[in-house]
Amino acid sequence: MSGVIATQPNLRVRLGGLDLAYPTLMGSGCYGSGDEYAPFIDLAGIGAVVLKSVTRAPRLGNPTPRLVQTPGGMLNAIGLQNPGIDHYLAHDVPKFASRPCGVIGSVAGFSLDDYAYTTEKLGACDEIDAIELNISCPNVASEGETFSCDPRLTHKVVAAARKATAKTLIVKLSPNVTDIAAIAREAEAAGADALAVINTVRGMAIDVHAWKPRLGNVTGGLSGPAIRPIAVLAVYEVARAVAIPIVGQGGIETLSDALEFILAGATAVSIGTGNFTDPRAPIRIAEGLRSYLAERGLASLADIIGKANAGFKNATEFSGDEG
Amino acid sequence: MPTLESRPAIYTTRIIDRREPAPGIVILGLHAPALAADTRPGHFVMAIPPAGVQAAVALGIYEARAERVSLMLVDAGPRTRALAALAPGDSLELLAPLGNGFFLDDLPDHVGIVAGGVGLASVLLAAEDIVRRGKRATLYYGARTARALVDRDLFAAAGCAVECATDDGTFGHHGYVTDLLRIADAPTLLLACGPSPMLRSVSRVAAERGLRAQLSLEETFACGVGACWGCVVPLDRASAQAPKFPEAGADESRTYVHARICKEGPVFWAHELRW
Repeated sequence: MSGVIATQPNLRVRLGGLDLAYPTLMGSGCYGSGDEYAPFIDLAGIGAVVLKSVTRAPRLGNPTPRLVQTPGGMLNAIGLQNPGIDHYLAHDVPKFASRPCGVIGSVAGFSLDDYAYTTEKLGACDEIDAIELNISCPNVASEGETFSCDPRLTHKVVAAARKATAKTLIVKLSPNVTDIAAIAREAEAAGADALAVINTVRGMAIDVHAWKPRLGNVTGGLSGPAIRPIAVLAVYEVARAVAIPIVGQGGIETLSDALEFILAGATAVSIGTGNFTDPRAPIRIAEGLRSYLAERGLASLADIIGKANAGFKNATEFSGDEG
Repeated sequence: MPTLESRPAIYTTRIIDRREPAPGIVILGLHAPALAADTRPGHFVMAIPPAGVQAAVALGIYEARAERVSLMLVDAGPRTRALAALAPGDSLELLAPLGNGFFLDDLPDHVGIVAGGVGLASVLLAAEDIVRRGKRATLYYGARTARALVDRDLFAAAGCAVECATDDGTFGHHGYVTDLLRIADAPTLLLACGPSPMLRSVSRVAAERGLRAQLSLEETFACGVGACWGCVVPLDRASAQAPKFPEAGADESRTYVHARICKEGPVFWAHELRW
């Protein structure tokens, strides 16, 4: 590039068929159904929102307490409270049409049939740009996390969802496994367009006065900066195992946090618990990434993805002007 | 549903005064004219803590007049400690105003306000509003000990009668604040904010004596804006505040829904809670 005016570094990224103006997502479960943060931030400044997971049938969710603050983060056990896909399609989805950013629906379930059914219904909506398959919720009875903890089941559920929609399919992986790379390979082989790495880490806190667990669900999912090194490693390992793009997530609050994930091999980052500290975090991170690239004379995010990962094999496509 | 329309936003405020009416209790006065104008009794804020501290903190809006809003907090942990350490001249960012606030449109002649500990922060504006509407207000105020009873004079100045209880008997009634409600001519409407055991007690007394009670619930919030569904409370499904979506299908007999304290509340009618 040799223009007289310095070109702004390009932050556009692609996740499968999903073209994002910014590589920053709002994590599922931390952004509700899309409206809740609209008074506080300009959604045009983020890449996409990942909506709260929806299931085939309505769910009441877990008993309270559902949240516990812990050092460097928090435990949650919400239990996928949601109105069910039918009500969601009728009442929530129409509101997403006006979003000035990408809209990624999130599907959770308890059987292959559930995932296929809900993915087909949600994927058929024009308002939904892509589907995130939540096969890794640690907070629902029995089957919640089973799909993401067994490579063969991961393959089956991703294949079922793949058949159910032509939209970009992002599969969210659990860190609560022995070999996340093996799971990632199965998700890729079954047709995933991208992987979200990671969901929460299983955890627990106990009230030492009452002699009982502090969460109504007994166990929960740990999020926040406490899990960031776990998540960075997971992205690093997955990026060496698959060629599809990765959405890195787990305790991201700042530019530096986001850069760790990108340098480990993530094409985009998702901010979840960080929104609860400051909902402007995704916008600040995007601005920070642009400055970071500009200061180094780099033209695009592609120039830094996976640069701390010698075995990185991601073949992310980039749209727009590339350096 | 008596909704109080407000326009929440991120406010960048400046601290203009700070006082510590009792050890560990801090009141921060903020320059925030637009927020003061948009605040209704019972609203709360999510205070974005100074850099390096995680998670915003939910605080009731204590005072709101002209260009000044104040927040009361208890220094009880790393997050509130960072806020308590702020001094005049520092800036503080808030997501505000949040929540539904108290329902004050249809008041009886005498309204009781029950506050425990830092729950006091959420009821001063309500007391002022009740008096402004020409009704009688009595604050029933409980704390561990006399020193932790703060700002009684502020309520008195607002035209509100004040009755106190302390756990250790160092001031007022020796016992629970709810004991003060067991009187023949108790107010027929109670507004309450404080720890859960106190609110449950208010709820019981109200039920026993046929009083109506609005409870402002306290809970750990993650988002404070209705996004995360972490702060729910079981609420009668017939309540006007019940979230409008169907329920987990199998259990037709269940009569409650999970409502978000931060969004549908934090103020609920005691008789509609199923907690």
